[in-house]
Amino acid sequence: MIQVDGLTKHYADLRRGRLVALDGISFHAVPGQIYGLLGPNGAGKTTTLRILSTVLRPTAGRATVNGYDVVTQSSQVRRQIGFMSANTAVYDRMTAWEMVEYFGRLHGLEREPLQTRMEALFDRLQMNDFRDLLGAKMSTGMKQKVSVARAIVHDPPVLIFDEATAGLDVLVARALLGTVAELREQGKCILYSTHIMREAEKLCDRVAIIHRGRLLAEGRLDELRQQHEQSDLEELFFQLILNHDATVGAKA
Amino acid sequence: MSWSNVKLILAREIRDQLRDRRTLFMIVVLPLLLYPLLGMSFFQISQFMQEQPTRVLVIGADHLVEEPPLVENNRFASDLFSKPEKAQLLQLEFASDVLAPGETLDDVLARARRQVEAGRYDAAIHFPPEFAERLERFRQASTAGVFAQGSAEGHPDSSDQQILPEIPRPEIIFTTANERSQITFARLHAVLRRWSEEVGKANLSAAGLPPAAARPFELETDDLADKKTGAGAVFWAKLLPVMLMLWALTGAFYPAVDLCAGEKERGTLETLLSSPAQRSEIVVGKLVTIMLFSMITAILNLASMGLTGWLVLTHLPTVGTPSWLLALWLLVALVPISALFSALCLALAALARSTKEGQYYLMPLMLICMPLAVLPMAPGVELNLGNSLIPVTNVVLLLRTLLEGNYLQALRFAAPVVGTTLVCCLLSIRWAVDQFNQESVLFRESERLDVGLWVRHLFRDRGPTPGVAMALFCGMVILILKFFVGLVIPFPEDFAALAKATLVLQLAVIAAPALLMSVMLTHSPRRTLLLDRASWRFVPTALPAAVALAVVIHPVAMALETAIMRLYPVAEGVAVLAKLLGGAPNFLMLLLVIAVVPAVCEELAFRGFILSGLRHTGKKWRAIVITAVFFGLAHSILQQSLIAVLLGILIGYIAVQSGSLLPCIAYHMVHNGLALATTRITPKLLDEWPLLDWMVGRTEEGYTYGWPLVIVGGVLSAMILTWFSRLPYQRTKEEQLQEAIKRGVEADDEPLASTIG
Repeated sequence: MIQVDGLTKHYADLRRGRLVALDGISFHAVPGQIYGLLGPNGAGKTTTLRILSTVLRPTAGRATVNGYDVVTQSSQVRRQIGFMSANTAVYDRMTAWEMVEYFGRLHGLEREPLQTRMEALFDRLQMNDFRDLLGAKMSTGMKQKVSVARAIVHDPPVLIFDEATAGLDVLVARALLGTVAELREQGKCILYSTHIMREAEKLCDRVAIIHRGRLLAEGRLDELRQQHEQSDLEELFFQLILNHDATVGAKA
Repeated sequence: MSWSNVKLILAREIRDQLRDRRTLFMIVVLPLLLYPLLGMSFFQISQFMQEQPTRVLVIGADHLVEEPPLVENNRFASDLFSKPEKAQLLQLEFASDVLAPGETLDDVLARARRQVEAGRYDAAIHFPPEFAERLERFRQASTAGVFAQGSAEGHPDSSDQQILPEIPRPEIIFTTANERSQITFARLHAVLRRWSEEVGKANLSAAGLPPAAARPFELETDDLADKKTGAGAVFWAKLLPVMLMLWALTGAFYPAVDLCAGEKERGTLETLLSSPAQRSEIVVGKLVTIMLFSMITAILNLASMGLTGWLVLTHLPTVGTPSWLLALWLLVALVPISALFSALCLALAALARSTKEGQYYLMPLMLICMPLAVLPMAPGVELNLGNSLIPVTNVVLLLRTLLEGNYLQALRFAAPVVGTTLVCCLLSIRWAVDQFNQESVLFRESERLDVGLWVRHLFRDRGPTPGVAMALFCGMVILILKFFVGLVIPFPEDFAALAKATLVLQLAVIAAPALLMSVMLTHSPRRTLLLDRASWRFVPTALPAAVALAVVIHPVAMALETAIMRLYPVAEGVAVLAKLLGGAPNFLMLLLVIAVVPAVCEELAFRGFILSGLRHTGKKWRAIVITAVFFGLAHSILQQSLIAVLLGILIGYIAVQSGSLLPCIAYHMVHNGLALATTRITPKLLDEWPLLDWMVGRTEEGYTYGWPLVIVGGVLSAMILTWFSRLPYQRTKEEQLQEAIKRGVEADDEPLASTIG
């Protein structure tokens, strides 16, 4: 599970001085649930997920994954998660099999159990056709499958997907969403960021809507619809963002 | 750090590099092809160069003597060459110096000069009119025994000049601006020298003397180096270390760029960073890969070069082949050299955003490293304490010293060389790990370069204390200023000049930059310089403690100083300084110039600004040591610098623990004051004070403390330092974070957070 409390992140920016990328965001996600992070580009989704994957450090606030602190126990946190984003690419000069095996071994899996697990994984994700193909020669869809296999090879309790379907064609995206839904059935705690409302509607149990580093709304989808008296998620999203920009503009 | 992870990463990186065609080409194929090809073409070119015939214009060949002959059948006589067939290399054309109407000899020569300059001839030679006649007269004069007569009269000079005719000189016209002309000149010169010897011999035999009279004995030479190490050992001992450096650096650089900047560019770095592998494991895995490739590159290149050299150069007896001993020592030296270069390249490559940016860093790196490798080739540079502390240079020098067979000398400086190299390696590795820990480096986005914006950013976003970069900048400014001011200020001749120089150096060069930067670049200069209200908390106890520490540790410091001076004796500069100090009008003045002013100025700069900035690294010991190194470098005499580094570490610790600059100034002042006091001890003083006599030990160099006092001082110092270590020192935000991470790592498997649910 993921617990985020008052997470804040500042960047030093030459032009604007301090740039606030995250401004006190709090939420928590539980196992067996897909938690959606919704927001336009630059909202702070990637920053949040990078902090959770311990690649970035928060300026203030706190986040824990399965009880491990992302700052002080970062290597433990990384054992708990499978992280996949548009920025986590596949090695060019490694075959699909070698790549997944490498990350399985880095996660401390022994050789024998890793082999059996990988066979099952390659079957399930239908990757046997290209198991000996070098990353440089793979199609986008193949690469995405390798990334998914790499992220779940160690059977982590927590999975983080950052804009995972970006750049995929409909078929591959659909297959990926299917895999994510399957992982929920296995009781994983899943954090899923996207700016595509249809994906969120289909997949997420709860969502948080983020804009300009602020959390605008948070809750189950039906709760949000009731609260804001808007059945269409996309409309709801636009309203929240427009309202927020208007209030910020009025203050300034 | 888990070694199984390091091994995994290492294996992957090696496989990755081996699958990269460019790397394989650079490392294996290139050296195997390059040297044989180079050797072949060199061999061919040199053959080509030597075999080319050149054209010579001979003016005035009619004025030559018949015997011994210089010219036969329109060529120089073949017995004037080392091999008769070489006579063909000089093609002669003859021009008469019989003047056309209206022409002078000068006109003829001027025409020849123009022709040589224009390249029509490679050189010209002119035999002046009456050359043969004068030679003949000279010979006749000598056979008539004029020499013997002249010298018997005891006035050889005057008599010779009267009787012996002067011989006009033949002239060679050539130009050094043209290589062919130079070669022609060399050939002509050799031919004419042999011919002149022949003429001499002919003269001697005409006078009834044996030809050996001209050269009564020959010289025998015996070069011991030749027998012991093989001919040309010196040549190889100078060339191969530089080649080793060059290839170790190149071999490290390309894989480093691919493994860091390349991974960033291809987006696989974030994949790796979000795996459980720790940063240090990633760095070590990559580092060992780079080192391996660096070593293989160097070995393959040297082996290929050595083999080619052996095959090609065995024909040249002056150069000879490299010895096996050299190869062995090169291999030993390769390990630290590659480690150092690999770590440096790794850190630089981690800094780069893309492979393109990475490639740009090669040239500056080469520019810094190559002089260090080439410096030892300068004549007269020998291994000593000074250059045993210069990275890269010291290894090359140690290598050379070993090859020359000076094992004792090598052994004496092995410790500083190995130590310096090790420290440099560790620092580079730490730097590389730091690069991997810095998110601003890992996720650097290109930003428009704008100096104005950057300056505004410096002022607008300044913190209460300076940042790490500012602290390093301040340290460098001080060192550079000191270097230039030191060049301008002449060496003082009396105490007044010394006082003036010290004041200028301390106030303008050391204190001023630090104070200026504190005021301009921080919004709390008092806190930066450890002089704000919070710093007063421990002053009442820490100040006396620091003074006491300076007193009781002084015997230990002196013992250490004596040991360093004995190991690495100082030149006479120090003695001169001592004499200058003796010229002080009174002791108080001396104290002010040597103890008080430096203590205040140096502490403001080093323990004030620089240490405050460096503490933002999050590691207090690292901050203390780097500050101390700057402090050491700011001292001009090397032996002094070594002591100053140790002293700097101690004062830095006091600064961090007490949180105030005042104890530091007090310690520094007392330390310098006591050092001055020891120079004032005289035999007369010892006679007057029996207690002092008990404390003082006599050595050849002067007075020092007795051993019992050193031991007692050491124990007391340890006690005071323990007291300092118990002070609850103020941590910076970064230091708190590092401590929290340490606690988190120690807790390891147990989740720290209890908020589950």
